[in-house]
Formats: sequence, structure tokens, C-alpha cells
Amino acid sequence: MVVLIARFARMAMVLLVSMALAGCGGGSSAPARPVIGVTMAHFDDNFLTLIRTAMVEHAATFPEFDIQFSDAQGDVGRQLSQIQNFAAQDAAAIIVNAADTSATPGMTKVARDAGVPLVYVNRRPAEDTLPSGVVFVGSEDLQAGTLEMEELARLMNYRGNVAIMVGELASNGAQLRTTAVESVVAKYPAMKVVEKQVGNFQRERGLDLMHNWLTAGRAIDVVASNNDEMAIGAIMAIRQAGIAPGKILVGGVDATPDALAELAKGTLAVTVFQDARGQARGAVDAAVKLSRGEKVDSFVWIPFELVTRENYKAFLDR
Amino acid sequence: MRTRRLSSDVGIFLVLVGIAVLFEVIGWQVRGASFLFNGQRLLVMVLQVSIIGLLAIGVTQVILTGGIDLSSGSVVALSAMIAASLAQAPNARAVFPSLTDLSVIVPVAAGLAIGALAGLLNGSLIAYTGIPPFIATLGMMVSARGLARYYTRGQPVSMLTENYTAIGAGAVPVVIFLFAAVIFHVLLRHTRYGKYTYAIGANALAARISGVRVERHLLVVYTVAGLLAGLGGVVTSARAASGQAGMGMSYELDAIAAAVIGGTSLSGGIGRIAGTVIGTIILGIMTSGFTFIGLDAYIQDIVKGGVIVSAVVADRYRHRGAKG
Repeated sequence: MVVLIARFARMAMVLLVSMALAGCGGGSSAPARPVIGVTMAHFDDNFLTLIRTAMVEHAATFPEFDIQFSDAQGDVGRQLSQIQNFAAQDAAAIIVNAADTSATPGMTKVARDAGVPLVYVNRRPAEDTLPSGVVFVGSEDLQAGTLEMEELARLMNYRGNVAIMVGELASNGAQLRTTAVESVVAKYPAMKVVEKQVGNFQRERGLDLMHNWLTAGRAIDVVASNNDEMAIGAIMAIRQAGIAPGKILVGGVDATPDALAELAKGTLAVTVFQDARGQARGAVDAAVKLSRGEKVDSFVWIPFELVTRENYKAFLDR
Repeated sequence: MRTRRLSSDVGIFLVLVGIAVLFEVIGWQVRGASFLFNGQRLLVMVLQVSIIGLLAIGVTQVILTGGIDLSSGSVVALSAMIAASLAQAPNARAVFPSLTDLSVIVPVAAGLAIGALAGLLNGSLIAYTGIPPFIATLGMMVSARGLARYYTRGQPVSMLTENYTAIGAGAVPVVIFLFAAVIFHVLLRHTRYGKYTYAIGANALAARISGVRVERHLLVVYTVAGLLAGLGGVVTSARAASGQAGMGMSYELDAIAAAVIGGTSLSGGIGRIAGTVIGTIILGIMTSGFTFIGLDAYIQDIVKGGVIVSAVVADRYRHRGAKG
């Protein structure tokens, strides 16, 4: 209890100090160096925080630029105002992690009208083609599903019953990963999708889902999950049901520390690494190049990477 | 009076049986196997809603006083984070590297205490500032979730000790849920605590005039609800072997639904824990049933909402018919 109180006291201090600092920052005069303005969908999202931190690090290698962040808090309207503000203060370039990808045409227009280069990062904008001076840096979720399922299929000798754990129904990533898994399975005649249900990316939901599947009686050889958390839930259910580890192959996406620990134990067969640092570097590089008038491809793809028992150690510190 | 309450429980039990039989019939068509006659599946049906059940026991009591508790899902997350952070085995990513491998008592006590504290705060706000329970607990819902995220900056807390995860292993959550249900069923039916709870919900003024210390009793009821949510956080983090700030998301609504399906009146004064337990199991049977018959995931929530409302309508209709 004492520790808890100390912890809360410390948190309160940090909160006050950071609020004070933020206040000072807002009051200072505009910097003389050109600014790269960044608006993030959420400051408190895990993966987006990795990207944000990596952007700060990488921007430090371009001392001629200042980098300035704002938090859209998931609100498209707020994000659009932030883009307009960056454009009005003559930013060298704007990096946008879209709060809602269906709203990107409006954002593209604001930046184009102001003549400021625009870089979308991580979340793919809705447009099929992007005008010059506007680029996307990110990863292709279809690729994550393909890498995951191809490896699972290979391990199964291209035969067996597949169960798919889907993330959130409304999430683009979940839809694309699921589509990719299904098309890989469709390639191999001896493989079949026998179950497909939603687990909302959550471990407990994955656990419950797997319990239900195991009692439903249909044989499952492979569980292809849209993310690692649900995959870990499946592994726990398999363990609780007393099924020997490895009898049902489980795959995930994200390469979280927990998932890497399961890989080390041999309970998780495969996961896929999404390169937050690669996306952050790519976005900052693109912003710098565009602001210097250099040409950049409209779509800069940062590849997903397959993580297996053989290579997982290389991902422990990434 | 007594027979009417009894018939209400029987009514909702019949709804439960009806839903089960429906899945049994469809199950034979779709899977060629029995839905109900599978011990493992019967366990899973209750297991997957045992956390919601714990919250429902708490919110039933709150609703009986004429209040509401929207904070329980968030309190689950907060309790799960704090308990998990004190239940870690030694590892490189420990939240408190010097506080690993503690006795299992410590995280459990911390989780329960933070839950009770949140409930106490809810109760104080409602009893002494007079703001509506909806708003007080809405505030707690937002803040507790925020605190759960802030605690580790959104990082999940994993690598928990085996003694701790044992709390959530196998059928243990079901045992905890049913044990809590029995305790509070008895407390509500046979003690002064219960009499006061019903009295305040039926008519707060009358209760006050008859000498019930309404404010103090509300404080106790909300604290009990918080304590049960804290217990839910402990059990869910033990079960998942991880504390995560997203845990218990929208559980408060499932808990309220379970209570209302089970015959608890949102205007207070009417309801029983036995009914709430049946309501909880109806939610569980739907989740298992949808998966068993392989209902398209896009359609499940649409059907679930419909079933919740129809279950209550059917029960009320039957109830009214019996009276008339």
C-alpha cells in the first residue's frame, strides 16, 4: 500500500511537471528553424507511441529542422485544425497519422492548397492515388496475414483445418489480415477454414473463443490469429484443455514481448513484426526530402517481417 | 409477495431453458452434435461470464437502491493493472523490479482495496454531494480507465507468478462467482443489510423516516460494488496471466444487462441475486451458442441485442399474465 501511495504521488508530480512544461512550450515564440509538424491519432496508443518516439530520435539527425507534435485524440476535426495550423505557420512538411483514414481526402486538400508537403504514416489514406507532394509510409496488413498463414501452412505440410481469430470487425487491419489468411488457405486444397469468429484483439476473448471451439468438436489443426494477444489466449485455452503443446499450431501478429516469450517456449509457432522504427524513419525521411523538393514514391512500403523460433532473438530488443 | 418473486425467477429460468433448447435444436442441424450435453462446454458457458457475473452481483445491489454503476468495467482494468504489477515473477520488464515474487496475498489485497476505494469514492459523491449516480459513476468510469492506462503508460503487465494465476485457472473463476452470489443472496434476503437496501430503493424518504441511515448505507453498497469489481480485476488478470488497461471494456453494460434480464427493476427496490445469476448465464449461453452454430460474427451482436430485449419482454409479459 505504501508503495502504491508513493507511486501515485510520483505520478501526480510527473503530471504536474509535464503540464507546466507543456504550458511553457505553448508560450514560447515560434522557432527560427523550419518545422516538421506531426499530428498523431493517439498519444496513448502503444504502437503509435513507438512510432512517435522513433520519429523524435530520427528527427534529431536532421538538426536543421525542428519537429513538433500534436495529439488528435482520435478526433478527425481536431486533426484537421492541427493540419491547418501547421500549414498556416508555414511548416516545411506535415506528417499525419490519420485519426480516421476515410477523412484523408480533406486533409490532402488542405495541405495541397497551402502547398505544404504531406506524409501519411502507419494508417493508409483512403485515396487510391496520391497527388505529388503527398506520400504514404507504412506497412501492408495483407502482407502480415500472408506471411503468418504461409508459414503456418508450411509447418503443417499444407494440410489441415484452420480456425481464424478476427480482431475488431470495424478495423481495417483485422479485415485485411483475415482476407490474406483466407486467400492463402484457399490456395491449398488440403486446407480448409473451419472456424472464424471475432475476439476483438483481446487475450480473454481469444481464450473464451478457443474454449468454445475446443468443445464444439470440430478438429482444429491451426489457429491463425489477427494479433498476438488473441493467439496467447488460444494457447492458454489449449494448455488448460490438456492438449499437448504444438499439437495445434498457433500464429499471431505484432511480435510483442509476451509473444516472443511464447515463441521461446515453443507454444507459439509464428508471429509477424511490424516495424515501428522503419515507419517512423521512412516518414521523417520522406518529409525532409519533400521539403527540399526531392522526389519520393507515392507509397513507401515498410515490410513486415516473419518471426519464427529460429530468428526471434533478433527481435527481442526491437 | 413471496410467490410473485419466486415466479419471476422461474420465468426468466424458462427463458434460459428456451434459449438453450433453441441452440440444442439448431446445433443438431448444423453440427450434428448436442449443444448442452457436454460438460466442458457447460463449464465454459459460465466461465466466460464469471467476471461479468461478479460485476452484476454488485450492480444489482446498486440498482436495488435506485442507483446505477457505470464504473465497474473500468475498475476491473484498474484493479487488474495494480494487482498484476504486484504479482510479477522476477523478470527484466517488471514494473517494480524490487517487488517481485511477493506473497499472493499482496496483489489480491491491493486489487480488492483499489476496487473498494473506487466504490467508496462513488458512494461518497452520491450520498454527500447529491449528484446523480449516473454522473458520479460515469466520472469514475472515465478516470479509472485513464488511471489504468497511465499506471504503466498503456504497457501490459505480464509474467505473473503461478500462485497468482492459479486464482484464474480452470473452474476457479466460476467457483468465486457462485460463492459471491450465494453470500450476497443470503445477505440481501436475510439480513438488515438487505432490508435497508430494498427499503432505500423502494422509497428513500420512507426508509429515512423509519430510521435507516440512508447516506451511510449507500456508501456501503457502492463500496461493496467496487470491491466486487476489484475482485473481478484480480480474477481476470489471473486468468489471462496479464494485466491490461483495456480489460473489462464495456463489461459494466453486460453486467447491467444481466441484472435487468434477471428481473431487477431499474427503478429500484425489486430484484434478486438468483435472477441476476440466471441473467448472467443467459449472456454466456448466447456467446457459446453463437460460436457453436457458427453464426456470422457480423450478425452476432445484432441478435444478442434483440435477445436481451426479448428476454425481458417475454418475462414481463408472462409475469403480467400470471398476475392478471
